[in-house]
Order: sequence, then C-alpha cells, then structure tokens
Amino acid sequence: MSENTNQKTTNEMSHKPDGTAKHIFAFIVMIALTAAAFYLVATDVVPENMILPLILVFAVIQVFLQLFTFMHLNQKGSAFYTIFMIAGIVIAVVSALGILLM
Amino acid sequence: MASHIHPNDRPKQPGHLETATFEGKNKVLGFWLFLGAETVLFACLFGTYLALRNANMGGPTTQQLYDLKLVGLATFFLLTSSLTSVLAMNAMNRLKQGAMQFWLGVTVLLGLAFLILEIYEFVHYVHEGHTFTSSAFGSSFYALVGTHGAHVTFGLAWIMTLMIQTARRGLTYEMAPKLFVSSLYWHFIDVVWVFIFTLVYLLGKVG
Repeated sequence: MSENTNQKTTNEMSHKPDGTAKHIFAFIVMIALTAAAFYLVATDVVPENMILPLILVFAVIQVFLQLFTFMHLNQKGSAFYTIFMIAGIVIAVVSALGILLM
Repeated sequence: MASHIHPNDRPKQPGHLETATFEGKNKVLGFWLFLGAETVLFACLFGTYLALRNANMGGPTTQQLYDLKLVGLATFFLLTSSLTSVLAMNAMNRLKQGAMQFWLGVTVLLGLAFLILEIYEFVHYVHEGHTFTSSAFGSSFYALVGTHGAHVTFGLAWIMTLMIQTARRGLTYEMAPKLFVSSLYWHFIDVVWVFIFTLVYLLGKVG
C-alpha cells in the first residue's frame, strides 16, 4: 500500500525556483521556430535556395534549446553528458555526410 | 505493497532527485552515452534517406506525397509532449507525485495522438503506392521515419509502465532516475523529430 507522504510537503517548497517559467519560454520559442519553418516552405517569402539553410538553422536552434533547457545540459556537472553528445554529433555528421556524398 | 521500501528511500527535500544517489548519477551518465550513440544511428538513416529520396522509380514523389498540415499537427503534438515531460520532471523534483503523474499522462496521450497520425499517414502512403519495397526512396523513408516511430512506441510503453510502478511504490530515490532518463529519452525523440520534419517533410516540399 503506497502512502501519500508527498502531499504534506508541498507547502514548504513552493518558494523554490524550478525553471517552469524558463521551460515554457523555451517551448514558445520552439513553437515559433517550427511555425516559421513551415511558413517559409508553404509560402514564397524567401528565394527557394535560401529556404534550406534557414530551416536548418531553425532546427539547430530548437535542438540546442531542447538539450540545454529540457534536457538540463546547462546545469552543473553536465560536462561528461556534453562530451558524450558532442562526440556523438561529430561522428553523426561525418557519417551522414559520408553516406550522402558517397 | 510498498512495505519493503525504507522510509529513508523517500526524499524529504526537493532538489535533483535523479542524481541524489550514486546509482542515479551512473544511470544518467550511462543514458547520455546511449543518446550519443543513438545520434549516430539516426544520422546514418538521415544520410541514407537524403541520398536516395529522389530514387522513386516512377512512384509518387516527395512533393506529391507529403501533407504539411498533417505533419504540422504531428509536430505540434510531439513538441508539446516534450514540454509536458519536462513539467513532469519539475513536479517530481518538487516531490509532487500527483502533478508528475498528471503531466506524464498528458505526455502519453500526446505521444499516442502523434503515433495515430503517423500510422494514418503510413496507411495513406501505402494506398498511394509508396511502400517499403516500392523504391529506394520508400525503403529509406520507412527505415528513417519508422525507426523514429518505433522509438515513440517504446517511449510510450516505458513511460506508462513507470507511471504504474510509481503509483505502486511512490516517489523514491530508486524511481527518480528511472523517470528522469525516460524523460531524457522522450526529449531525444523530439530532437530527432525536429530533423525529420525539417529534412524529410519540409525539404521534400521544397524539392
């Protein structure tokens, strides 16, 4: 039988910052970047050869927001996590470009 | 049911429960190593798709197939589920088990909505003559998007089973790292989707 000890502790920590506001802000930026990418493709506001670089930049910004806010890579003690991810991304980019340009 | 759990296993103070124990630290560290490897897996599938996306063997082209409204809706579901997943972790670190379970439930529902849209999309494509074996474009498309869909499916099963386990055992130092790495996995699925909607669907419409 699981007891509900968690309920009574809620009051004492309501003053603790938990980053919820920051996360919601990051989410709004991500939604805006996604909407902008879809808008650029659906309309002709920019020349066709500019669309790919622009939406790629939007995607990369979104991924950094995910990694550093939602996945907490901005916190202390994340050095090894970041090293693993950078190593993965470096091998990933080399692999993808290698296959693509083969 | 939870009588074997020692009272010391139940956090009294809010904070980063996922790395509060040595075991938790190792779980998170190991999981990031796994995510680095997953990045390479998906990059290879992306490279293959981008190299073969115009090899459609007379079948439908990317421009004819893709429907941006459907993809936009699916993207919205998955992106929002990433936010609700992080809100669940915020609730966990404030020891609010009920709020955490609520946000995990919303995450699962949004993930299910995404999966249903994807299955609908695949069924529609098969009727249009775009199958796994119809062309190199078909093979590379389903390999990439299907692998992502399989990750979503696994992630949903993972989060739902953890919700059941948390309901039975409560929010302990043992549960917190499990919940946290499942949340990392879910964010990673969203990261991959950002590149899928950019490089597969949007690029497919541009040509």
